[in-house]
Amino acid sequence: MDNSYLLGIFTVMGIATFITRALPFVALAKVKNHSVLDQFGRLLPPMIMVVLVCFGLVSLEVESIDRGGLSALSFVVVILLHAYFRNPLLSILVGTGVYVIGIQGFGL
Amino acid sequence: MSQPIASDFLEALRDSAPVMFGYIPLGMAFGVLFQSLGYHWLFAPLAGVVIYAGSAQFMAVGLLAAGVSYTEAFVATLVLNSRHIFYGLSVLSRYPKHGLSRWYLIFGLTDETYSLITAKPPESSGTTRYFVYLTGLNQSYWVLGCALGASLQSFFAFDSAGFEFALVALFLVLLIEQVRSMSERWLLAVALCASGLAYVLVPNQFLLVAIGLCLATLMVRVRGGGVHG
Repeated sequence: MDNSYLLGIFTVMGIATFITRALPFVALAKVKNHSVLDQFGRLLPPMIMVVLVCFGLVSLEVESIDRGGLSALSFVVVILLHAYFRNPLLSILVGTGVYVIGIQGFGL
Repeated sequence: MSQPIASDFLEALRDSAPVMFGYIPLGMAFGVLFQSLGYHWLFAPLAGVVIYAGSAQFMAVGLLAAGVSYTEAFVATLVLNSRHIFYGLSVLSRYPKHGLSRWYLIFGLTDETYSLITAKPPESSGTTRYFVYLTGLNQSYWVLGCALGASLQSFFAFDSAGFEFALVALFLVLLIEQVRSMSERWLLAVALCASGLAYVLVPNQFLLVAIGLCLATLMVRVRGGGVHG
């Protein structure tokens, strides 16, 4: 195994990842109009969260109707638990638990 | 400043716990996959230390197997992670302006860390120390997952099927939190349409296109609509 090739690939991928994360900080460092940036800071995150939820849902491998139903059930469980108890850990653990049990326990 | 160090740490530990349930199984999945290449298992957690990007690391396994050039790996990573460019926009004003902590926070700005940081209301926005703990904890869960998956892969078969739902649930919970305090909810419908459109038109660039569409709408709104709420 060529360890130096592996380390080289890790290094360039690490640098590329850092560049994508650092770009706005470097590019916008001189921007004076803070009201525009503040509005982006306030309005963009919930929109991105909608996109990430959709991304998560389409990444789940829904290869059957049962699996689709299980995803929907777990999704609703998270929403209901969070609406009532507002405890992130509880909502996430129980929702994921329902999903894992459905797949591993019932073979959905 | 206002809080003692221990309470910053405990707060970060509590807030990051959901990420732990997502990162450890996902990191383990990467570790197991990485072992198929035949390198020493310690390189798997090393990937979590120097790259620290889930999708990029999974791609790295394919790139290493294919033996691509450094240039190809560089460009492919830039394209894959380009959505991160939009994340900085929202945390720019919360992050420290100078110092090592600034650069570490930028380095560790994953989807999940971004979600947790932006879920904090700006007025109660944590101290730099809290952000550093949060980012560091998330990365350590990830590195731990990579190490466990790669080192234990040959010893026991851990069935992590279904754990991928933890990250969906995390995003969903954070979305509910952010919706509660959002003044312009029509933008959520825009984001939903953007996701649908991106999924139908360019499913393999889903995140980039969907977030790009959101940003484009927001630019029109911010420039044209003046300041509300």
